[in-house]
Amino acid sequence: MGGYFYTSTGQRRIGRVPRDILRSRELLLDLVWKDLRIRYRYALMGFLWAVLEPLALTLVLTFVFTYVFGNKADAFRSGATPVAIVILSGLVFWQFFSNALNSAAQSLVDGKNLVQKVRFTREIVPLAAMGYPLVNCVIGFILLLVIQAVFGAAPGWHAFWVLPLFLVQVILTAGLALLLSAANVRFRDVSYIVGVATVFGFYASPVFYRLSWVLDGGLPPWARWLYLANPMAELLAAYRQALIENHCPDAWLWVWPVLAAVLALAAGVIVFRRSAPTFSDYA
Amino acid sequence: MPIIEVKHVSKHYPRHRGARALVGRGGILDWLRGRKRETFAALDGVSLSMEAGESLGIIGRNGSGKSTLLKLLAGVTLPTTGEVRVHGLVASLLELGAGFHAILTGRENVYLNAGLLGMRHAQVDAVFDDIVAFAGIGEFIDQTVDTYSSGMYVRLAFATAVHTDPDIFLVDEVLAVGDEDFQRRCRVKIGELREAGKTIVFVSHDLSIVNTLCDRIILLDQGKMLVRDTPQQTIDYYLRQVGRAAGVHTLALEDLEVIFCQGRLSLFRAGKEITAPGGFRLRLESMGNWYDSTGADWRVTVREPTRCVARGVMARLPLTLDFTLELSPSGLTWRMAMTRHREAPITVADALLVFPPDWNEWYYGELCGDFPEMLPGDLEWAVIVPMRHGVKEAAVASKQDSTLPAVLVECDAGDQPLQLQCWNADYISGTRIVQAARYFAQAGQAAATGVTELMTLRLDLGLDRAGLQQRLRERAREYTITSGKLQARVEPGAVLLSHGEQELTTDVHLHTQFLAAGLWNFSQTLLWDAVTREGDTLRIAGESRRFPLRQRWEISPAPGGIRFRLRFEIREAMDLQEFNVSLGLVPAYLRWSTPHESGDFPRDLVEEKTWTHLNRDYGPADYAEASGGGLPRVALRNRDANLPVHMTVLASGLSGMRILQAIRVPEGSPAFHLAPGIHDAFDGLVTLTDAP
Repeated sequence: MGGYFYTSTGQRRIGRVPRDILRSRELLLDLVWKDLRIRYRYALMGFLWAVLEPLALTLVLTFVFTYVFGNKADAFRSGATPVAIVILSGLVFWQFFSNALNSAAQSLVDGKNLVQKVRFTREIVPLAAMGYPLVNCVIGFILLLVIQAVFGAAPGWHAFWVLPLFLVQVILTAGLALLLSAANVRFRDVSYIVGVATVFGFYASPVFYRLSWVLDGGLPPWARWLYLANPMAELLAAYRQALIENHCPDAWLWVWPVLAAVLALAAGVIVFRRSAPTFSDYA
Repeated sequence: MPIIEVKHVSKHYPRHRGARALVGRGGILDWLRGRKRETFAALDGVSLSMEAGESLGIIGRNGSGKSTLLKLLAGVTLPTTGEVRVHGLVASLLELGAGFHAILTGRENVYLNAGLLGMRHAQVDAVFDDIVAFAGIGEFIDQTVDTYSSGMYVRLAFATAVHTDPDIFLVDEVLAVGDEDFQRRCRVKIGELREAGKTIVFVSHDLSIVNTLCDRIILLDQGKMLVRDTPQQTIDYYLRQVGRAAGVHTLALEDLEVIFCQGRLSLFRAGKEITAPGGFRLRLESMGNWYDSTGADWRVTVREPTRCVARGVMARLPLTLDFTLELSPSGLTWRMAMTRHREAPITVADALLVFPPDWNEWYYGELCGDFPEMLPGDLEWAVIVPMRHGVKEAAVASKQDSTLPAVLVECDAGDQPLQLQCWNADYISGTRIVQAARYFAQAGQAAATGVTELMTLRLDLGLDRAGLQQRLRERAREYTITSGKLQARVEPGAVLLSHGEQELTTDVHLHTQFLAAGLWNFSQTLLWDAVTREGDTLRIAGESRRFPLRQRWEISPAPGGIRFRLRFEIREAMDLQEFNVSLGLVPAYLRWSTPHESGDFPRDLVEEKTWTHLNRDYGPADYAEASGGGLPRVALRNRDANLPVHMTVLASGLSGMRILQAIRVPEGSPAFHLAPGIHDAFDGLVTLTDAP
């Protein structure tokens, strides 16, 4: 019998999640690959679009903030770094967060013909949905480094802080993706809420402005706390410190994102695993 | 240890409701209202366990919980209460191609789909070539799936599922997709899996497939499980159970019971089913497609204990079918008619009477024999006895089990042509079939509107095998004439001669051959009508399948023997190069003679040579004779000097059969040029002179 054993009572056990995901790693990569393949198969330039899209965005932003706004955006300037780079350094990471959540939230419903018919590690589906935004983000990040080098604002050694920061962001995103995708199976409202929330979050996170403007502004304390409750606010600020200001991100910028990531992951894994075995009844 | 255990499983689903499907579905509005979730039970307290290698069939009406049970076994959803335990890898054929994406190539899809079924890349690599070979995809494997035909798509999906080498297969009506050839291969493959000791759970509406493929059958009704002792009884119960619907009626008389269920008839005697699970049904052929009476929407209009009238509206043909069933002490009468509302070209209407394999003896006209065993290689139906026009009677019986009643089928289509045939079905369905087919030759008649009587079948269950054989003998007597001690029995394409109990002819008996367009045609290969009798004269006619030619034979008593007349009925002018009338005699005959010479038949068979010509002088002759071996001297004689013949004497090196042959060849021209009309071809005698 090859060691395969299935019992309906063990299906909601949380402890099995890491092993299940590890076992399905090939499937996870296959699903991501499928996603990429489907996007670009009939495109003339194929996978080149994965680079061209972020490149176009980068160029447009660079052009607008260098030549159109010119000196007017100087307030945003940080030393010698062009404004476009400052904005890009936030945008690249924000887009990963926002795109990943949106596609993950909808992923189980989109893949319902799978969910209703085959038993496999369900966590794979929302995680695979993060694959394409992740690829996009990595390419965007590389382009950012290139632009920085071109404008003579190449990041220093402290840029390596991006790696742990990004790890925190991925964990945070994965946790939220699991949570939201599971919720969306029962309540389809969730995917719309995520859509609205990420648009709102775009403005409520320091993408187009600096975190210090909010903190130094005249916000009442409760609004300040509310603003800082968004872990992406701290994360984006931390990315800028590492990439542009070239120093280790302030300690206080780490605390809440790490905590939030751990909480989100725990909540996501638990809620997902608890409801996963009966997804097929609702999908 | 059981491979599958289902313990007191219940499954509740949220109830859906019209436009406000979210209400009562646990939606956010219900939660705010504090409204409790309303559910219905798809499964209710189901328990079952299966051992490895068993095959289980699940039947039940739509919505009875079949698919839910399969989903629970597949682990796609969880039971609300109870437990499901499965020891082994499960492949559910219910998700054929579920993971397939149109834009990926066949290869990518195979890896993805196999991954979903739990395989690693390395494992897929090992069987990848087998998958491609089984699917018959070939070069297409590296093309995107959206370029595939739907058949290729399903084949690839099926091949992938089968090659994941699981211990347990869940099959949910997959056989309903794909073309006929693929469905057959699926059934064969599932049969093989079963023989390979895999555990199979099978859900289907096709009771005959369930019955052949499954050791055990469970019936689900509104989520509850009902089991009877044998598969047959469960199916039987199912048929009764669905008997509540409008298209179902049960006729009963004494211990005979007939269940009409949506265009399908099932017969039971003393609670035992006589019909195969597929039942008896009618099919119509239109424009090359077959339409089954079971696909019509039926309504029983007259319900009486021994009589019913049902009307079925065909789904894809503009016509209704009318069945009238009447049960009487002599058996069941089944009258079929159709009403066309618009012009619809119907080329064939055939009734299929499907029997289980235990009915292993056939009776056809005056002939009888055994149904051959069905072998795993039998993928097609096989004709058991050559079809003959005019045969109106066939029967099946069981040789080994006398409790199974013999069933005699008499069919009647007025003066319309009707063909009766006996078939062995393919190995998987494993059934015997009596087919009564009505062919509509003229297109006008086939397409007209209005009522057309199709045929009436009378099924007589009152006879046993002895009765059938008695009937056969009577029938044979009708085809036999006697002249002194000589008896001549006419069979299609041959006349059998005997002297008292002693058979004089063998193998090919008295038969004819003709040479046209360089091809020899034997009388046994013609399509023969039934024998007609007029006083002591028997007449039979056989139609060539290749040439516009009919042979008419006339056999009558004559002084000292019988007279054999052969005439050709030609529809279009044609050339015959040569023909003959041959008498195949038993090897006991020792000597032969013609007017010109005489000699002995060879004693020692020359095995390597099929035929030995014995006479040297082929000049025109009136007779050829054989004698010796204590048998009466037999002679084949020409009677009509206007139809001169040459005589040949041959011996078969294989069987030792002796042949006396009267050959007619065209004198002075390469062929007989035959104009349309009737031509005398041969008029002769077979005479007997008692041995000294």
